[in-house]
Amino acid sequence: MKRIFVVFLLLVLGLAVYRAFHKAPFGQNRIGDVERPQSVSAFYLKHSPETLHTANSVTAIVVNFRGFDTLGEVTVLFLAATGLASILYRRKEEEEATEKAHLPGRIQLPSSTLVRTGAKILFPLILMLGIYVFVHGHLTPGGGFQGGSIIATGFLLMFITYKRFNVNHNVLIWLESLSGLAFVLTGIYGLISYGSFLQNTGWTGRLNDLISGGLIPLIYIFIGIKVGTELTNVLDTLLHTKPRRHE
Amino acid sequence: MVVSPVHLIAAPLAAAFLIPLLNKLYRDAARVVPGIVFLYNLIVSIILVNRVFQSGPIVEIIAGWKPPFGINLLMTPFSAVLTLLVSFMAFVIWLYGFRFKRSLKGGVVMYYEILQMMMAAGSLGIILTGDLFNMFVFVEITGITAIALTAFYRDRDGAEAGFKYMLMGSLASVFLLLGILLIYTQTGSLNMAQIAGRMPAVATGVKITALIFLLISLGTEAEMFPLNGWAPDAYSQAPSPTSAAFAAVLGVAAIYALARVGFTLFDHGSLSAFLTVMGFLTMLFAEMAAIAQTNLKRMLAYSSMGQMGLAMIALGIGTEAALFGALFLIINHAVIKSLLFMSGSYFIYNLNDKRLSALNGIHKRLPYVSFLFSLAALAIVGFPPFSGFWSKFYILTAAGERRMLPLIIGILAVTVIEMTYYLRVIGRIYFAKEETEPASHKPSIQALVAMTSLAVLIIVLGLYPDLIAGYLHKASMFLLDKQTYIQTVLHLS
Amino acid sequence: MSNYQEIISQYRPLLEIIVYGSAVALILVGLYAVLVKKHLVKVVIGLSLIDSGVNLLFVGVGYVTNHTAPIFSPGYENAADRMVDPVPQALVLTAIVIGFAVTALALSLVIRLYRHHKTANVEQLNRLRW
Repeated sequence: MKRIFVVFLLLVLGLAVYRAFHKAPFGQNRIGDVERPQSVSAFYLKHSPETLHTANSVTAIVVNFRGFDTLGEVTVLFLAATGLASILYRRKEEEEATEKAHLPGRIQLPSSTLVRTGAKILFPLILMLGIYVFVHGHLTPGGGFQGGSIIATGFLLMFITYKRFNVNHNVLIWLESLSGLAFVLTGIYGLISYGSFLQNTGWTGRLNDLISGGLIPLIYIFIGIKVGTELTNVLDTLLHTKPRRHE
Repeated sequence: MVVSPVHLIAAPLAAAFLIPLLNKLYRDAARVVPGIVFLYNLIVSIILVNRVFQSGPIVEIIAGWKPPFGINLLMTPFSAVLTLLVSFMAFVIWLYGFRFKRSLKGGVVMYYEILQMMMAAGSLGIILTGDLFNMFVFVEITGITAIALTAFYRDRDGAEAGFKYMLMGSLASVFLLLGILLIYTQTGSLNMAQIAGRMPAVATGVKITALIFLLISLGTEAEMFPLNGWAPDAYSQAPSPTSAAFAAVLGVAAIYALARVGFTLFDHGSLSAFLTVMGFLTMLFAEMAAIAQTNLKRMLAYSSMGQMGLAMIALGIGTEAALFGALFLIINHAVIKSLLFMSGSYFIYNLNDKRLSALNGIHKRLPYVSFLFSLAALAIVGFPPFSGFWSKFYILTAAGERRMLPLIIGILAVTVIEMTYYLRVIGRIYFAKEETEPASHKPSIQALVAMTSLAVLIIVLGLYPDLIAGYLHKASMFLLDKQTYIQTVLHLS
Repeated sequence: MSNYQEIISQYRPLLEIIVYGSAVALILVGLYAVLVKKHLVKVVIGLSLIDSGVNLLFVGVGYVTNHTAPIFSPGYENAADRMVDPVPQALVLTAIVIGFAVTALALSLVIRLYRHHKTANVEQLNRLRW
């Protein structure tokens, strides 16, 4: 009975959402052009190549036009990692207790040689791909968030292949904090030298050059490092929480 | 260096990224740094409030792109008052919680301090931003910190309350996103001023759907009646400084967001009746539930909800006088409810018991804390010499001007309920007999300073409401003036 | 190429039903899981389904018929008037990251609850009156 009610409720809601978005027909041009802009996008599409010399206009929006959002977004990730650590934190005694306890049900078997060798070969390649993606964030589809997630998948591969694979937490924390701080400091640099937080430098290079777009690639590299370390940290926290024996 | 609104957000962000490093060098860095940040924020916001009231609203452009293309921070008189309030309360709550969990070493305290600091920073962001999607980002920052802090204690109820909060919070953010997307498709902008300017041209059906989506999500944050299931659990399971911050920091930001959406983005007239009715239902439900509680913190949580309901009623009435009352109420709620949570948690800390019945005769063990608690309880009900009286008085007067007789009777009736349960607690503290033991946990000196300053504020505002009345009048007038808001943002010189 | 563009223009209403409809359907399926399912992990899965639906809706709304990706690669430097709306794509990036953060937090809460109760069934953990 409850289910029927829920389904009915959901259908009503779905219809309401669909009807509302039906007023914005699929594929309709709501951007307009620069002379008659209907949306802020027209401005972005004009100034992304002309003023910022950034080929990927999504990157230009994410890092520069709406860079403050991205700073908030990076903070959300950071807070999620912090919150995760605070929720799953365990005192030293508890940890030692779990170390000693034999954990039934946990897979103790090592991965096969095939998997281990494959992971070893793939790991540096995945890292390289991730770095490539965030370094070219202003030229190709991709960027700091995508590259960072790719790096984290590399670490995930290592975590599940090698049971004893441990990342150095100090290095993670340093990278995480420093890259986050670097992002804020580039913002403050803009505030001091140009009078506006996160403002880009005047020099932006040539469209489609690797070094172009002013501070945009630099910030996206910081974001890439930050996201990569942050996600690795989250994975590490989630994977290395074994069930407690005594409760 | 010239201060500007962005400092209020950049400073906590930089500090949050720095704390993990500093904590390695100096063991107590995590405790001290947020205090420095909050003190800095307090000074900056005092300077900015002065500037706003002397020379008009401040618009801060971010990334060098003028609105509507870039994100802008905006300090109108209305948001300036709330910014100052949040900065002040964040500092006081930090002071109160300075010795919090001193027994725990290293990591955990650091997590707690970072989360607590970012909750205040996120609320400041909600209040300052002039961009709808940016507001969503800050709502999520406060949401995630609030969830993590709710689940901070390691007993089972914390995680459960956190999960419940997470469920409601993420559904709320889905609706917020849908609302923002809908508004974007129709107006082609995310800047609040431009949206406000283009809103009259939007088809009514879409407008109403977007409004409903935004109200569902912001109503969840503002503890509106059917959507507030998370609140009592979150308030009662979170650490005490966090409960105080829920009322003093998150609540303020939520009411601000509701006011901004209701008055600037949409037409207030269409919302008036809805907000009044929902506010009254919230208040009625909350106070009825509060009187049935046996747990001190849950009772305070329901009472918070009741105050939020009253603030919504005032927003719903929507005249200048009512908004003045609403602002006064928000300030009172932040100050008084924090004092209640702060002093109340010392009872719990000493008794190791959250039940109301354990409070019998506690004034002999904790005379000063009991005095502060009773003072705050009397103030929040609205007894005359305290500041709580004025906010209720102004809201009732505003309702009287609009000839809303049933509403006045309703508010008064609910106040009687409120009075009953607060007086019952005071009765227990002072007049019930119980064997007394010497207090085991005297409040720390920092906590005493924090609580006393709040108590002084309650009395001073109660005796001299004119100290802030001028500012509040200006602020509430500005909120009603939608055209000036649009002009200020879109036509920068 | 032109054949393909014609087909898209011709079937625009149908495509709308497919794209918007599947996004809304994803949201509904997710909501159903959140409201009805008893297992906490399933509830979390429901939440991320809702997020995916909303993200899909974002990208769908930004699409403009026969326009290309908003990247000024060599050969496309002057194609600004033939590009889809970049703003929803930028917003969806933010929304995805936030969705991830919430999901991670939710999973950690599930782990905590499971550790204490030895179960992840909603019906068996109602100390706080849901």
